[in-house]
Amino acid sequence: MSEQESLEVIQQMIYAAKIEQKDDGKGWIIWGWVIFFASVFSFINLKTGWFEEFFFWNLFGIATILLLFFKTIQSFYRKKAKVVRTYTSDLLSKLEPGFFISLAVIIVSMNTGGVHPTKGFALLLGLYGFWILIYGVVLNFKPSVIGAYVVFAFALASLFVAQFEWTMLLHAVAVLCGYIIPGHLANLEFNKLNQEVNTQRV
Amino acid sequence: MFKDLDPILHSQLRLAVMSLLISVREAEFTYLREKTNSSAGNLSVQIQKLKEAGYIEVEKKFNNNYPQTICKITAVGIKAFELYVQNLQTYLNKE
Repeated sequence: MSEQESLEVIQQMIYAAKIEQKDDGKGWIIWGWVIFFASVFSFINLKTGWFEEFFFWNLFGIATILLLFFKTIQSFYRKKAKVVRTYTSDLLSKLEPGFFISLAVIIVSMNTGGVHPTKGFALLLGLYGFWILIYGVVLNFKPSVIGAYVVFAFALASLFVAQFEWTMLLHAVAVLCGYIIPGHLANLEFNKLNQEVNTQRV
Repeated sequence: MFKDLDPILHSQLRLAVMSLLISVREAEFTYLREKTNSSAGNLSVQIQKLKEAGYIEVEKKFNNNYPQTICKITAVGIKAFELYVQNLQTYLNKE
């Protein structure tokens, strides 16, 4: 093997492993659209008065609990071993419980009357922004870093909105900028890289 | 002055395995086989050589009754890989 060939092997393998450092963005896309629709339908509901104020959020809550229950059962029966572990994926999975605990604290405080929903959703946006920022910095993904700061701006703006329906609209736009757009961009980048790696292997 | 390239690393498959392992925390045997496009037998032999040199750690375990071989680069392996790349650069700069 010549020196040039050695260098090519190193480059090829490092490039092939690069995909492991990328996220497919599917989580952001799914959660983003679900939260977006819950916010938009809540806005419409508050304007038209079809159902009770939090009808769509309660629906979202029930769907989330069912989904988490299904996922837990599925992971229990289908214990799939990870074929590769990266430092970034380990770091994110260790930080993830912190996000969900903080999320639960805010949701419970809203439901027990400690925090008014208009302010509670501003706090939620602040938390989303922080999680998006962590993700963007850890994976070196610029759209998420930008999206995080946009979400922070919406969180601050939400604090000064008195009517809940407008809080919902701000929430929807913030999720669009912080979850949905970066999620789709991450998915595009992931698919493109995956295709390039597969083409190179063939 | 050109230094000799580490003979353990100066082999296509062993170098490929080390290049993959330097990029991730740990990887399963099947992942390495898929990425390097090698046969299971050849890969096993080369992994054993890297393990004997102290460049990688190999952990064998069972997951749902299926055997699993996990490979991880060691600190010695990282140093050796860095030195190999450094030495490679001196050769390539000469050209």
